[in-house]
This record gives sequence, structure tokens and C-alpha cells, in this order.
Amino acid sequence: MAGSGTAHMRNNDEVVLEVRDLVVEFKIGRGLVVNAVSKVSFDVCRGETLAIVGESGCGKTTLGKAVLQLPPPKSGDVVFEGTNLTKLPKEQLRSARTAMQMVFQDPISSLDPRMTVRALVEEPLWIWERGTEEERGAKVRELLNNVGLDPDLVLNRRSYEFSGGQCQRISIARSLALEPRMLICDEPVSALDVSIQAQILNLLQDMKDRYGLTMIFISHDLAVVKAVSNRIMVMYLGKVCEVGSPDAIYSKPAHHYTSALINSVPIPDPTRKRGAVPLQGEPPSPVAPPSGCRFRTRCPAATELCAAEEPQLREVNPGQYVACHHPRT
Amino acid sequence: MSAILSIRKLVVNFETPRGLLSAVRDVSLEIEQGSSVGIVGESGSGKTVMSRAAMGLLSGSTVRREGTVMFDDKELTAMRADEVRDQFGTGMAMIFQDPMTALNPVRRIGSQLSEGPRVRLGMDKKAARARSIELLSLVRIPDPEAMLNKFPFQLSGGMRQRVMIAIALACKPKLLFADEPTTALDVTVQAQILQLLSDLRREMNMSMVLVTHDLGVVANHTDFVAVMYAGEIVEQAPTTELFSNMKMPYTEALLKSIPKIDSASGARMAVIEGRLPDPTDRPSGCGFAARCSYVQDKCRTEHPPLVDAGNGHLYRCWYPLGHTIGRK
Amino acid sequence: MRNLFAQMNLLSKLSAVWMALMTALAVFGWLIPLPDPREYDPEASAAGLFSPGHLLGTDAGGYDLLSNVVNGARTSLLIAFISVGFGGLVGSAVGIIAAYRRGRLDYVVSTGFNILLSIPNLVLGLALVAVLATSSDPSVPIASNRRVIIIIIALTVVIIPILGRIARGATLTWINREFVVAARSMGMRDKDIIVRHIVPNVLPAIYSVLFLAVGVVIVAEGALSLLGVGVVDGVSWGAMIARVAGEFTYAPQSMYVPVVVVALTVIACNQLGDFLRGRLDLREGRI
Repeated sequence: MAGSGTAHMRNNDEVVLEVRDLVVEFKIGRGLVVNAVSKVSFDVCRGETLAIVGESGCGKTTLGKAVLQLPPPKSGDVVFEGTNLTKLPKEQLRSARTAMQMVFQDPISSLDPRMTVRALVEEPLWIWERGTEEERGAKVRELLNNVGLDPDLVLNRRSYEFSGGQCQRISIARSLALEPRMLICDEPVSALDVSIQAQILNLLQDMKDRYGLTMIFISHDLAVVKAVSNRIMVMYLGKVCEVGSPDAIYSKPAHHYTSALINSVPIPDPTRKRGAVPLQGEPPSPVAPPSGCRFRTRCPAATELCAAEEPQLREVNPGQYVACHHPRT
Repeated sequence: MSAILSIRKLVVNFETPRGLLSAVRDVSLEIEQGSSVGIVGESGSGKTVMSRAAMGLLSGSTVRREGTVMFDDKELTAMRADEVRDQFGTGMAMIFQDPMTALNPVRRIGSQLSEGPRVRLGMDKKAARARSIELLSLVRIPDPEAMLNKFPFQLSGGMRQRVMIAIALACKPKLLFADEPTTALDVTVQAQILQLLSDLRREMNMSMVLVTHDLGVVANHTDFVAVMYAGEIVEQAPTTELFSNMKMPYTEALLKSIPKIDSASGARMAVIEGRLPDPTDRPSGCGFAARCSYVQDKCRTEHPPLVDAGNGHLYRCWYPLGHTIGRK
Repeated sequence: MRNLFAQMNLLSKLSAVWMALMTALAVFGWLIPLPDPREYDPEASAAGLFSPGHLLGTDAGGYDLLSNVVNGARTSLLIAFISVGFGGLVGSAVGIIAAYRRGRLDYVVSTGFNILLSIPNLVLGLALVAVLATSSDPSVPIASNRRVIIIIIALTVVIIPILGRIARGATLTWINREFVVAARSMGMRDKDIIVRHIVPNVLPAIYSVLFLAVGVVIVAEGALSLLGVGVVDGVSWGAMIARVAGEFTYAPQSMYVPVVVVALTVIACNQLGDFLRGRLDLREGRI
């Protein structure tokens, strides 16, 4: 996979976030560079949930943070509601960021252990000096109620007194305090028990409806994003493999990597014995990615063409785009 | 077949400032020689405490333990701490959820790997090195010789878990405890590790206990499943029997809450509302009553006993699934 | 505060009481009717413990030891508290900012800390005093007050890298926590992130080291005196030790008294530092 290209971009009025040719690199010393995100483009329409899916190290988290300019990307554009964030001066960026908020993977690490729940959820309002103290207090109570926590029980407690699922609820309440128009959720349920994951996923859906949010949902698990997304983008080693609607992606994945991801999800049914493990080994190092298609070293269908030439995203079915020389049919 | 590990009426309580915390309540479980048993439950269900106690690992002045644990026909619960320790490595071994914290960050993989063979099997340096390479190949690590000189931080999560498995297998244990071995890993790597564990278990004729919160993980990799809730086993059965003939509403709820690849897109997910009961103040009735969608009055007041449904299938419910009597 | 005291074990309680007593002596000691620490008693040279009029005896020169301990506490603790307070403040601020900014500033600062830390405390103090205390006219001795200031400056410089490195290290562990990234994504200014999120989390690590640093400074003050560059002609615990250094054979109590006081104070500081560190670990353990 590992393709670049912009065939999947929709240039309509509904697009709120447009990311073009985004490159994020990290220097790791001795002249080595990690190619975390390499020329990735995507767009998100108003009210849509875009899922970004891939293994650890595929650049999905870096991509999510780069949208918020945390840290700013090396090159490429991030246009949110018509404003190019990569070109904004620091103070304007600071205020532009409030329209997009992030929910993090580790619900415990994302909350300052010294602060009470009241202070945590109030913090964004405090930073932007929104409302009087009473108004902020009322807003905090409202937010906590909305995420299913009883304000009277939780306001004065600290994050370490709560379970992971409850911490994630607090995190979500905090991320909604500034009434953002976009929420970037970075693996919001990966650290939680299966039984709690469903609660948080439902909560995110509810919040999306209540606040009219546009969402980016980052995950390594295709089963988790199935229920929440309108569009899925599969990434591998800093590149886009496949973009499409959930139904298309799950019923006829065109990329060999997408198909392997789908077949990795455990099925809670002992009668459906599965054959060989779909994907062996691990992704190569992003310091020295393979030439051509970056997935070719693990791909069952790889040919010489894949090493020589990088595949570009192209439409294989209406609304389904794949970056592969030999897509599955 | 005989049982490699047999737990009888195990009770574990912790003394806390808030009172006695009952973590494990009257758990009995047999693990057959060569079988793979899944212990499934949410955080706080007591599954980890139960497995630690079964390994004889719980000690300390605040722990109150009752019941017996027999391992390989020896009574673990009657042993001194150093005698229990002698069982590790050759008798039983374990792997953990987070291989990064379980590995020593400042020692090379080779030296951590050869420790078991050298100390427990009395191998010399050369033999231990050969054994290390053999073990790394066993867990399908490419280029095992190069791996010996690496430090844990140089490895990916999946590779670290493979190394942990190699260390655990170094002295050919009879029983392997795997405590959430894939929770910190990607789904693709999870599939690889689970497959590896299943293969190794067959190759080495080893028994395995797989502790996890995910019913999906146990479905394809165990012969027998015990579901724990609030410190008790609420349902236990051979894996295929459990999934085809589920009795306990809690097991059903757990199964339904798993995000599924074939669920309808945009559909709401089934959830288990509410939380586990407070372990210092267990309800008198069924522990799941407050969250159960089939709850009846009797459930709130009377504690259900384990009922034998045949085929090794036990459950703890007054109104099991598939029965209509008494259900509203 | 009372709560904190209640959590202490016996040794920590004794340490807290001892430090409170020493601090009280430093502040109010001059109110106690004792002989002038600078006046010698020609009647009592090298008097033993519990001699009439001299509770802790006198040294060979006839100076009252109790009076010197009480009044010396003022100078010694003043030096300790000011240099540790000031050094801790500067060191922590520099360490936190360097760790937060990273890049070249961090490189310069941490290299500077490492250079200073590579020099033994005493050698560094000695060198600084030697540089600062050169008077233009060698025949005019430097006034006692000025010496105290010079020693405070020297010991402050000794403390800065110790606390600075602790603060830098602690900051590095916190800046990668997701709540700091979260704060940034909410639009929080760097200044506020440092004040609200970094400092409160780094402080506990610093508190415990501050107490250890007080011990270090008290010992260093004594050692500098012994080397002849301390508050030589003034009244301090170090000066007492320096003055009686040659009298050990015939007036041992004149050595025991200041050494025991210094030792107990240092032990108390270490104990309190350990207690605070233990509390900090407990807190971390719960997270």
C-alpha cells in the first residue's frame, strides 16, 4: 500500500477538514529520520465520522495530532473550515484549535492526577475565560451529566479514584467543554475492558448527535470502528492503503492489508475456526521504509512492480479507493 | 486425564481500611493436563487475584486465604514460600499483559533468557546460549542470534511478548499462566501471539490458563472457559458448549458487548449498564442482579448456587437463559 | 500540616521536632539568657558538661558551648535555608524551563549542570569562596557579615545544579503525559501549562530533595570552616568546629557538642526528606 494520491478527495461544500500531502518526520539522531506520515491526504465532511485504522507505528496517532499542529507537520496543508492551520501565527492557532478537541487513548494519563474532576473539566473554560465562575460551574455539571456521571458524586474527587471507563467519560466531558465542532478520538477504547468499550462508543455516538460533531476516530481495531464510522481510511507505515465506506471496506476489502486486518479480529464463536494467521511478522521500520509500495514485504500478492513503483489511490468501486497495483477482486 | 491444577473452595479476602474486601469467593476449578482454560471477566471480577492465588503468589499480612490448590499432585497451599518458588519455571510459568515492565530494561535479551536454564536447569554458559537461541526460534523470532544482544526497548510490543513467552518456556513448564497476554497489542499481533501460544501448547504438551476480559479471545484458543463475576465463577463449561448453550445472562451480556466485525454500521452497541458491586459490601442476592435485564425478585435476595447442567457445564443463576419458567 | 505530622513514624516525628527546635533557637535564641558567645569565661576553660553556668561546658578558650550552639544556629540555618531556598528556586526554574523547551537551551543547561555536579561540592564551594572573598588589600580581613553572604552565594551555586537536575528529570517524565498534550490542544499557553500542570507535579520530588540539600549545606558550611574559609571569626556551628579542631585531646566535649548538633540536624533533614519522598511514591503508586 502505501500509496499517495488524492483521487479520494471530495471537493464539495460539506468538507470541513481537508488535509493535503501531510508529511510528519521525527529526527532520532545520527541523521536518521522516522517517516511517521508520508504525504497523506484526506478530507472529512460535516457531521461525518472518519475512522483512521492501522497497526501501531502506522502514523495514525501522529496524523491525528498533526491535524491539531501538535507538533506542526513538516509540510502539507491542514485546512479547517477554510483556514489553513499550518500557516497561522501562534496566537491565532491557539484559538483556532479550540474548535477541534482530542480524546486520548490512556484515560488515566490524560488527566492530571492532582486536579479534581471539577478543575479538570473546567480547565478549558478557565483557559479561555468563558463565563463567570457560576456559569462555568453549571456548565461542568451539565457536561458531567451528559457523559453519564453524577456531578455530586464525582466533582471533588481526583482521577486516580476512578476506573478507566469513568476517566474516559471525564476526558470526553472535558473535550466538549469548549463546544468544539470536531472531535479527534485517538484509540479512545483500546485501554478499556470489552464490556466498557461499548459504553464509551455509544457515549461518543450520543455526544456526536447532541453536539453536532464531526469526528475522526483513530483505532487499530476494525471491529471497534465498524459501528461508529461513516468512512474508513486504512493506513500502513505512514501511507494510505484504502479509503471507503464501512460496508464496502468490510464486505469487499480491495487492499490485501485491509483484508488481513479484518481477518485478525477475533470472532467470539468457537465453531468458526479460522485458518492461518492472516498477517505474519511486523511492519518494517519507518526509518527505512521499503521502496514502492510499503506493504509489499508482507503482501501475499506482491510483484516486482510493487517494489519499483508506488501505487496511487484510485477508485475501484464507487466511493472505494485503493492504493494497490493488484487489488483484491 | 488428570488435573494438573485443581483449585478447591478458594477464598481470598484482603484487609483494607474500609473493611474486609472479598476478592475471590469459593472458587473451585480443575485444569486438565494438556488443556487450555480461559478465565474471563471484567476488571475487578477477581480473575487476576484468583489466578495469582492459584499460583501461590499472593502473600502479605493483609491477605486472608482459604481453600486448597493442588498443583501436579502437590498441595501448593501447604507449601512454604520458597517451596512454592521452586515450582516456578519447571512447574509453572507466567506471562503478563505488559511485557515492557516485566522485562528488565537494562539487561540484554540473551542474559534474561539464559537465566532460567542456568539457574534452574544448571546449564553452563554455552548450553544456555544454545537453549536461548532454540527458544527464540521456538517463538518464531527471525534471526535469534541477533536478538540475544538487544535490549527490551529496541523491540516492538509483539516481539517483547514473544521474548516473554520464550523466557516463560525456558524450563519447559507444565502449566503456563497467560494474564491478558494480548491486551496491549494490535489485533494483527494479537492473532499471531494467540496462534503461537496454541501451537506451542500442543508442541510442548503444556496446559495453559488464559486470563482475559475478552470472550472473543478465548473462543478459538481454549477448551474450557470459566466466567468470573464479583469474585465468583458464574458459569463454566467446555468452550463449544458455553458458546452454543449459554445459561448465564452475564455471559450473554459480555458476548453481546464485544464490537463485532459483522455488526450493522451505525447501530448502537449492546452494553452492560452499571458496575460491579462493591467488593467490601457484596449484595446478599445475585451479584449481577442490579445489572441483569432478566432480573426477578428472588435474584435480589437469594444468592444462587452453582447448578450442574451436565457436560461439565455449571452456572450460577436462578433463571438461566433458555428457561421460561418464572420469567416475566 | 497536623495531618502530615500524624502520618509520620516516630523517627520522622522526632526529626520534625528537632528541626522545629533548631529553627526556634535560630529565631528566638537570642532571647535566652546565656553568656555572650563571643565572650570567654577566664574562670572556666575546657569546662565539662553541666558545669555551673555552662550547661554544655566550654571549650579550651572558655567560650560557652551552649551559647555558641544556640546563637550559631542562627548563622548556620540562615546560610542553609537561604542558599537552599534560593538555589532550589533558581535550579528548579532553570531545570523545568530547560526540560520544557528542550532543544539548545536544554543542551546548554544540562551540560552546565553536569559540569558543576562533576566537581565535588566542597571543592566547588572552596573555589567560589576563594574567588569571591579576595579583598583588594590582603592585610584587611573580610568582615564576618560579608563572609556569610559569600558563603551563601557559594553554597547556592552548589545547590542549583543538584535541584536543577532533579527538576529537569521530573519535568521530562511529566511533559510527555497526555494531559500536557491535552492542555496544549485546549489552547493553554506554555506559561500556564508549566504553572498549572508541570510545577505541581514536579514539586513533591523537589521538596524531598530540598531537605536533603539542607543537610548537605550544613555539612558544607562546617567543612568550609574547618578549611579556614567559613565564618571563621563569627558564630556558627562550622566556626565552632573550626575553632576547637585542635583541642580534641584535652577538651573533647568542645568537639562533641557541635558535631552532635550538626549530625542530628543532618539526620533529621534526611529523615524528613525520606518521609516526603515516601509520601510522593505512595501518591504515584495510586495513579
